[in-house]
Amino acid sequence: MLDTKKVGSVMIVGGGVTGMQAALDLADSGYYVYLVEKSGAIGGAMAQLDKTFPTNDCSM
Amino acid sequence: MTLSEVVKVDGVAGNFSVTVKESPRYVDMEKCIACGACSEKCPKKVDSEYDAGTGKRKAIYVKYAQAVPLKYQIDAASCIRLQKPGACGFCEKVCDAGAINFDDKEKVHLINVGAVVLAPGFEVFDPKPAGVWGYGVHKNVITSLQLERYLSASGPTEGHLIRPSDGKAVNKVAFLQCVGSRDENLCGNGYCSSVCCMYAIKEAVIAKDHVPGLHTSIFYMDMRTHGKEFDQYLERAKEDAGVRFVRCRIAGVETDGESGDLRLRYVNENGRQIEEFYDMVVLSVGLQTPKHVLELAHTLDIKLTADNFAATSDFAPVQTSREGIYTCGAIAGPKDIPQSVVEGSAAAAAVADLLAPVRHELTSVATFPEEKDISQEEPRIGVFICHCGSNIAGVVDVKAVEEYAATLPDVVYVERNLFSCSQDTQEMIVKRIREQDLNRIVIAACTPRTHEPLFRETLKAAGLNEYLVEMANIRNHNSWVHSKDPQAATAKAKDLVRMAAAKVTFGDSLKPISVPITQKGLVIGGGVAGMTSALNLAKQGFEVHLVEKTDTLGGNALNLKHTWAGEHVPTQVAKLIDKVIWNDRIIIHKECVVTAVDGFVGNFRSTVTGKDGIAKVIEHGAGVVAIGGDAYIPSEYNYNSITRVVTAVQFDKLFELKEKHVKQAKRFVFIQCVGSRESDHMYCSKVCCTHSVQSAIALKKENPERNVYILYRDMRTYAQREALFKQARKLGVIFINYELHGKPKVTEVGNDIQVEVWDHVLHRPLQIAADMVILATAIRPKEDAADLGKLYKVPVDANGFFQEAHAKLRPVDFSTDGMFVAGLAHYPKPVEESVAQALAASARAATLLSKTQVSLDAVKATVDETYCDGCALCVDVCPYNAISLIEKGPAGADGKRAIQVNKAQCKGCGLCQGTCPKRGVYVSGFTMKQISAQIQAALAV
Amino acid sequence: MSFEPKIVAFCCNWCSYAAADLAGTARMQYPHNVRIIRVMCSGMVHPEFVMDALSQGADGVMVLG
Repeated sequence: MLDTKKVGSVMIVGGGVTGMQAALDLADSGYYVYLVEKSGAIGGAMAQLDKTFPTNDCSM
Repeated sequence: MTLSEVVKVDGVAGNFSVTVKESPRYVDMEKCIACGACSEKCPKKVDSEYDAGTGKRKAIYVKYAQAVPLKYQIDAASCIRLQKPGACGFCEKVCDAGAINFDDKEKVHLINVGAVVLAPGFEVFDPKPAGVWGYGVHKNVITSLQLERYLSASGPTEGHLIRPSDGKAVNKVAFLQCVGSRDENLCGNGYCSSVCCMYAIKEAVIAKDHVPGLHTSIFYMDMRTHGKEFDQYLERAKEDAGVRFVRCRIAGVETDGESGDLRLRYVNENGRQIEEFYDMVVLSVGLQTPKHVLELAHTLDIKLTADNFAATSDFAPVQTSREGIYTCGAIAGPKDIPQSVVEGSAAAAAVADLLAPVRHELTSVATFPEEKDISQEEPRIGVFICHCGSNIAGVVDVKAVEEYAATLPDVVYVERNLFSCSQDTQEMIVKRIREQDLNRIVIAACTPRTHEPLFRETLKAAGLNEYLVEMANIRNHNSWVHSKDPQAATAKAKDLVRMAAAKVTFGDSLKPISVPITQKGLVIGGGVAGMTSALNLAKQGFEVHLVEKTDTLGGNALNLKHTWAGEHVPTQVAKLIDKVIWNDRIIIHKECVVTAVDGFVGNFRSTVTGKDGIAKVIEHGAGVVAIGGDAYIPSEYNYNSITRVVTAVQFDKLFELKEKHVKQAKRFVFIQCVGSRESDHMYCSKVCCTHSVQSAIALKKENPERNVYILYRDMRTYAQREALFKQARKLGVIFINYELHGKPKVTEVGNDIQVEVWDHVLHRPLQIAADMVILATAIRPKEDAADLGKLYKVPVDANGFFQEAHAKLRPVDFSTDGMFVAGLAHYPKPVEESVAQALAASARAATLLSKTQVSLDAVKATVDETYCDGCALCVDVCPYNAISLIEKGPAGADGKRAIQVNKAQCKGCGLCQGTCPKRGVYVSGFTMKQISAQIQAALAV
Repeated sequence: MSFEPKIVAFCCNWCSYAAADLAGTARMQYPHNVRIIRVMCSGMVHPEFVMDALSQGADGVMVLG
């Protein structure tokens, strides 16, 4: 374990708000990120919501 | 990578080899320009997953209008051509870009990564198989997700609320809570989904906005609105919006003959059988882990909980049972958007801890040729007009626009492109800029909001300043919205090109502002959140200063014994303190408080003063506020006069010490919401329900003969905590509901404590004789929170907790760049949520600290000293406190003043420009001259 | 010929300009008389711009933010 060469890249499985946040933070702090999404586009469940509490902002 | 799934993960933490299967899209992503011609021609319609089956999509489709990537895909299972070679193929014929590829094949990628983060999300419970409340039989019984689509302007009915059965306008809607949650008989999901109460209220409120006079009723067991500002929203929904809340169990939903109306039967709070009629019934469906995720968990060999969520520790909430694999979001338990976002960042922090030594090893910085100085040159404008396939050229006479553009002043070169954004056109534009010696560019294409960054890069590649480009939006604002009037669209396109050319003529080379960063962190507060945050930053390789007001580390966690999942808190906290003390990158300042702050993102200077009055100045690039909260000291329920009325924290100590009164006592009454969810403190303290239930279980386990009562308003054992609630009931703990207007009364009668409460089952007051009464007291913000907030220019909310930048999407950031919040300082929360937020704060801080400098957009306010006379009107309007007034000239000289803009704080909104009566300040890239030129050009025909 | 007004609209990059983009994506049809000027915030719109537009022949000015 100690002599395992570490790799500076990360794979994120899932492109919803959570996965995207993790991807952005990692990419912004110096890691190469692979974002793997099962469907044809990222966005996840939040993109389906019309508006969100508390400000009733549009979820896009 | 879209349409992709992980099939295998080999290797160890730090060095995994992941096999990813990419399904064919049948559309070339490089070529597809998302014009939609294919979808228009596609003859095959199927139910849209995105619209939760309320609308239709074609076999070739984009998931939704704003999808990223905005590229079409073919659903092989429903595509006529892919099912039967030789048939159909319309899409291929109409695609101008030649993007359709029916021969696309599945690809398998082998990818080497250091860590894996699982964020696969949830699926909503499908009530169809069990036919819950007639779903799937009665058309007007829909799920909450379907209602979400009906209410959406982009949904199947464009936001009109109509009945699926007959299209009749809806006047009465009922929401039934806990469908697929808290119910092991019907759906097998015993846990609470956490989010449904809140989304049902939101949907009811929004539905009422859509349909004036709409009657909405929410039928529920416990109203679980435990999140930040949720209770306030609940009260507003009741009082202002008039949403009706009914606490009951529904007995049945039936159709009323042919009309499509639905008959609801239930027993109300007075024990009466009630029948009501509704146009529509909405099932508030819960969240669950999808089958493919369970399979993934199995392949990856990570442990799951009994409720089928990823198993994690409360002190490492994003770490799975396999090292190097992390989780975030709903895979580790049902949760709402802000908590999911927090965990996303938290997972990033955990990964950065593991991979700290190899940061920046695989990332690269793009290099560009040296920039040409054009300040002495006459404008030479090049105009590039995009056809966007047929999107623009199909409506606008692009040739006429091209000819017209050539006649504009200073335009020396015009060209049309099929797709200006394509890679080859980019290269061609670079070539033309050099060849034609162009020094200003107009791109007449789509919207600058998505494509300006791309064209700025193009200019940079050509050695031209990136701000010398202006886009004319002749697609979104023209060809798409005037497609029925090509003549007018062509005329408007000419206008838009003329306006863009006029603006860019007065464009200047702008330099992005670069600010150096002090790569050190400051964490205020030495509780679990503060220590976690500091430790993570230190392990990521940054020096951290940890400031603690008292003389001990540990904070409120020192009062806790067990987390909800049963982990021993003192052991974990001791471990954490040890790690913090022995980490040589953490500098601890005990008995110290922050007394003064100077600077801004990347360059803060905080003055930390000790009890001895000695002040130190700490330079840091980012800061985390984790000052915790306080326990509310009650005055109600005769707490001050009856000794055996104690707070939960006191009870825990007595119980732990096996104090004889507790040991011998037989009758215990817990009273919930003491100081929470009322008048001036309209928020839920989130942890008390679970805590009382745990204590009750412990009491019952120790001696089953004991009588234990919990008097509650709504039992908020959210998410997987529901199992504890169930266990407590099984052990015979008696739960009695009370309402705010009928609070229990506690008096001392001889040796007994008398507790009087209204019994909702028996419908009469109930007297309980008790040996001990335990008050579940609220969590309050720290008294000095607002003062600290003022120092860092970060706000606190009406309750005194720190206010994050965005309730949903920026739950750990402050609106002031470089400052972050974690733990109880933000809102009451249990340990694992504090830890997650603390890790998230570190991840967010690390996005700054990992860089030596920040580059900021050049669109910033700039002072024109010729005109600025220091009237300071702009100082007050600046929402970012970026403007200050300075003395001009030598000190003591006849005080001529002017303003100064701190470019690091300025966001370029231009409120100053709009306010200044003397043209003393302008926003680069949007100067008075540029906008005036645009106005003039818009009206010059 | 019927009267065709000329409208100048100042749109905030973050909301109304984005909304106008979305109107396009949704293929909504609206009168072609509006000329949109993108600003970084509607607060950037100096009163002078409104006067400018009106004095140069605009029949209406919209500030959307």
